[in-house]
Amino acid sequence: MKVLLVEDNERVARFVKKGLIESGHTVDHADNGRDGMFLAAGEPYDAIIIDRMLPGDIDGLGIIAALRKSGSKVPILILSALGDVDERIRGLKSGGDDYLVKPFAFGELLARLDALVRRSQDSNTETTLEMDDLSMDLLSRKVTRAGKAVTLQAREFKLLEYLMRHPNQVVTRTMLLENVWDYNFDPQTNVIDVHVSKLRQKIDAGFARPLLRTIRNAGYMLTADD
Amino acid sequence: MIRLLRFSSLNLALSYIALSISLLVLFTTPLGIAWRKDIDEARTENLQQDVQRLSEIFSKLGANGLAAAIDAHLESPFGVDRVMLLADASLSRIAGNLPAWPPEIPASTGTHRFAIDPDGSLMQVVVIHAILPGGYHLLVGREISRFKKVETLFWYGLAGAAVTVLLLGWLGGALIRRTLLSELHTIRQTASAIVRGDLSRRLPTQNAGDELDMLAQTLNRMLDQIEHLVHGVRNVSNAIAHDLRTPLAELRSHLEELSLTRPSPEETFAEIEIAVADVDRVIGIFNALLRLAEIDTGARRAGFVQVDVAEVAAEAAEFYRPVAELNGIRLVFESSNKLEVSGDPLLLAQAIGNLIENALKYAQKNGTITVEVGQRPDASVEVAVADDGPGIPDEEKSKVTERFYRGDASRGTPGVGLGLSLVAAVAKLHGGSLELSDNRPGLRARLVLTRTA
Repeated sequence: MKVLLVEDNERVARFVKKGLIESGHTVDHADNGRDGMFLAAGEPYDAIIIDRMLPGDIDGLGIIAALRKSGSKVPILILSALGDVDERIRGLKSGGDDYLVKPFAFGELLARLDALVRRSQDSNTETTLEMDDLSMDLLSRKVTRAGKAVTLQAREFKLLEYLMRHPNQVVTRTMLLENVWDYNFDPQTNVIDVHVSKLRQKIDAGFARPLLRTIRNAGYMLTADD
Repeated sequence: MIRLLRFSSLNLALSYIALSISLLVLFTTPLGIAWRKDIDEARTENLQQDVQRLSEIFSKLGANGLAAAIDAHLESPFGVDRVMLLADASLSRIAGNLPAWPPEIPASTGTHRFAIDPDGSLMQVVVIHAILPGGYHLLVGREISRFKKVETLFWYGLAGAAVTVLLLGWLGGALIRRTLLSELHTIRQTASAIVRGDLSRRLPTQNAGDELDMLAQTLNRMLDQIEHLVHGVRNVSNAIAHDLRTPLAELRSHLEELSLTRPSPEETFAEIEIAVADVDRVIGIFNALLRLAEIDTGARRAGFVQVDVAEVAAEAAEFYRPVAELNGIRLVFESSNKLEVSGDPLLLAQAIGNLIENALKYAQKNGTITVEVGQRPDASVEVAVADDGPGIPDEEKSKVTERFYRGDASRGTPGVGLGLSLVAAVAKLHGGSLELSDNRPGLRARLVLTRTA
């Protein structure tokens, strides 16, 4: 997909651009607000990654506000060194779709970007989610694997639902923490891993092909591919 | 400040003086009016009596007899301030001490006031004009300036009183100013000492309960808080210097070694991963510190909502339950009904989470952790997390909430010593406290929250 990166820090920009290109994306880069605004308004992008504080007349939030005002629905990920809750809220209120605090791991950025783009394409009206022979009925709240019922607790159901809504996509621990538990702090223990391995026990144990994979240094992925 | 004070104490004295003078005027004006009216009435009555007596003389002795009586009266000691005139029908003078009929007086009867100039000195007189049988006109009057003396005396008295008030007001103002100034001077001196860096100085208080004393006490409390914060900052910067330097030093030596020895690619990648983990640890400390700073500013209070603490604690307990199970620890959650406080749900979740994580770290293998939510007798809400681990010795209890403090028992466990600091900060933000006590064995940590922070 085609991504616009508006970032004035040269090293961060090079790092993000390189990572995105290696993941198969096309990247346009602007290192100031004016050029960023110009590109964002002129070209169709699948997603925009934008730094909050930028040189050149217009800052990140200004660009986002201008884009939203002109009716653009492009998914926008904000990068910022300002991590306060207030700052986050301000960023999201201006029209950003997600907020990532610097410094970040590239895996986190890529996973969030993927999630944003999928969400914008998602019609979000389906009542059943499927992955290979795993199926989830959102209305009756029943889960089956290869026709066999899987009993899940409420939170496990929510965890699996989130993974199934982001199939074949890396989902980081922070994303799970934020979206499944609504927490915004980093636990000192490996509690997310324990939850995931409990879920894995329930959906993968006894099946030849595991669906819930651990992606090293990044997070998890629900996939049927090998 | 002193200029402002000079201004305000002058103002105070001036207003005080103005008020006193207004009161004086307010008090004397009706008195003066009543007095004047009374004098006027008495005078008119007097003149009426004179007219009456003279008419009687006229009816007995005729015009010539009256003329003689008038002259006699005017020469007597009683006639000093009298004005009398008898005139015939054509208003020609017959007798009396006026040279001629005054043109200001009309031919009809009545009471009149006018000025005469008998011997070069102007005097105000009031006269009664009566018409006697046979067309004779009689004027009987009296000089009013006689009462001028009393009036003058009255005005002098009033002026004297006003001057006294002025003097007293000025004196009072000066006294107030001196008292205020001397107290403010102490405040100023103390403040200057603090500005110079002596944060331990405090304003003198007398427990007198007056406004200045109350101000001094409030300022002292403010200074306590400032001193506490400054010490906090000092401790934290020392702690940061120590706790961040260590991982950064390790990281640096790792990287330097790597660039010097140039090991095999596999080894290099492994070392890089360790380095990234080191960096993540430093970032984690930074995040924790920033979060603490954010909480300390109290800015999060703006986002307070009604939170059911029992629910938040139940969710946190459920969140950590799998970890407890994995370590063979029994995690027991007990709560009564809904217990609402005004607060930040995310911070409360993190604080309770920290307490549970702490308990998980220290609980015995196959031990028990209990999380209890309950209401205290004073209506505050308490979340108690108890474990059966080594506990915290009494002498360390007050220190563990200090930033970066790590007790003896925590050596060799993960963490940087900010967990309980955060819990204490969250408790403070919610108008509560973190209480640590013995669980015999183990630690019982109570997060106390007031209902309305």
